[in-house]
Amino acid sequence: MKKKKTTIPSIIKWVIALILVVMQVYPFFYVFTSSFKSLDDFRQLPAYAFPSKWVLTNFINVFTKSHMLTYFKNSIIVLIGVLIPLLLFALMAGFALSKIKFKGRKFVLNYFLLGLMLPMQVALIPLFTIFNKMGLINTYPAIILPQIAFSLSYSIQLFYSFSKFFPEEMLEAAIIDGCSPIGCFFKMVVPMSLNSIITVATMQAVFCWNEYINAYTFTRSTDMKTITLGLNDFVGSMGLTDWGGTFAAITVTVLPVFIFYFFSSKKMLAGMTAGAVKG
Amino acid sequence: MQKAFGKKSVIFLFIFPAFLIYTAFVIVSIVWAGYYSFFDWSGVGEKVFVGFKNYIELLTQDDVFRSTVWHTLIYTVINVAIQVFGGLLFAILLSRIKKGRVALQTLYYIPVVISSVAICQIFTKLLSVTPTGIVNQVLSFIDPSLKLMEWISNPQISLYVTAFVEAYKYLGLYMVIFYAALIGVPDELGEAALIDGASTWQEYLYVRIPYIKPVIIANCLLVLNGSLRSFEFSYLLTHGGPGNASELMTTYMYKQAFSSMKYGYGSSVAIMIVIICMVVGMLFRKFTGGGDDE
Repeated sequence: MKKKKTTIPSIIKWVIALILVVMQVYPFFYVFTSSFKSLDDFRQLPAYAFPSKWVLTNFINVFTKSHMLTYFKNSIIVLIGVLIPLLLFALMAGFALSKIKFKGRKFVLNYFLLGLMLPMQVALIPLFTIFNKMGLINTYPAIILPQIAFSLSYSIQLFYSFSKFFPEEMLEAAIIDGCSPIGCFFKMVVPMSLNSIITVATMQAVFCWNEYINAYTFTRSTDMKTITLGLNDFVGSMGLTDWGGTFAAITVTVLPVFIFYFFSSKKMLAGMTAGAVKG
Repeated sequence: MQKAFGKKSVIFLFIFPAFLIYTAFVIVSIVWAGYYSFFDWSGVGEKVFVGFKNYIELLTQDDVFRSTVWHTLIYTVINVAIQVFGGLLFAILLSRIKKGRVALQTLYYIPVVISSVAICQIFTKLLSVTPTGIVNQVLSFIDPSLKLMEWISNPQISLYVTAFVEAYKYLGLYMVIFYAALIGVPDELGEAALIDGASTWQEYLYVRIPYIKPVIIANCLLVLNGSLRSFEFSYLLTHGGPGNASELMTTYMYKQAFSSMKYGYGSSVAIMIVIICMVVGMLFRKFTGGGDDE
């Protein structure tokens, strides 16, 4: 790695790299600055200009005219409701499929992985009619359960490949000491898989926080909306969008994700890459 | 350990919860959609059994459905091109930069963590014509007539614009995956090629890229699956329009069921989507030999 021939001068490399940064970051920078614009600024200034006066009206509108706090509450409830069972069940299944040798193991694994190819939208019609009959439309279970089910395949695949590296000797020792399998799971497998759990959790958390179609189909009233649906509160019909409000709403809902992302980006990136690289 | 864990009751205990939820919501729903697809039903009232009528209508008379299949395939090709090949190209670039990699990687990844809804709203504004959005404003410096360029409401290009916006959102994801894979290539391999007189480009072309071929195939499969089922971008950015210019199979299914209240017909579209996803996935696996882990 010492003396390499540089065929592309490093300046060009950096210029391209920075253009890419602008491409990937500018839209959100634009949203952030525009959320401080007044209505007049939107009308009169060119789109790329900074606000002539930084005003907080849009943010005040987000919290007074829309029910953003309710949406946050709902999104957090859905997030927790999806993540905990998803991680637990996926880890149990992924661990068992990779560590316990039993007949039909390969079949069960493939059965779960089939879900990777099945789009969620095709389940919406039957789910809608069933939920409707059971009176579950516009309730948390209707938003949460299908998301768990459709996230299982990918999570199981990840836990399956992570669990391959789990040291069996430790389990052997614990069993000899009289630990039951389920006890072993909670006392040893869970703590020792903490890294992979966090990796899968951060990834699925972002998916769940941004989920749209499931929540869109199964909610009816404002008090059950999640934040992705709430973003449309300022979009009127036929282009009468309150852009200041929309941008402020985007800023408010994206900020927690950004903060979360900058603290956990290493784990999240690790999870994303592990999924594809290790297969 | 196999003795203690290998008992049927233990295996059952570990696998059953996931199995139950997955079967009930994924598998049963799809079978159920298959059942509905043989009926004429508006969601309320009597279901009328019509046999294969929905499928026959879908395949022989429904021009809109046929166009949505084409749209979805074009959409998928564009996404594979940008996300996989664009992502790979940028990852190569990134792997050549020594300083600030982590920062760059983190910044490139930002659009991935933003919700599709927000991305669609942002692009609606960036690409708007009245008032002039940023994209047209920048383009008008090059050619003033581009100031009035329509993107979202232009039937000729709205499909490509939608595909581009989805590709934009996920580009960073695949870039990061490729980047990790490229860095994982043992240095000895690259160095050996360099000592043998290969240029940097040759080193990548003949050593590093073949080495990460499994990752490229896995990513192709992920993008393929992602774009065949894509929904939000067409539904929210262009509303499938203008007309049906950017309608995809999934948005068409959704509208048939939940806007036109044709549950039976919508279900037959859903089953066609499942079949097309499966066929494309299997063909891809067959041709590349990819996707077989272990």
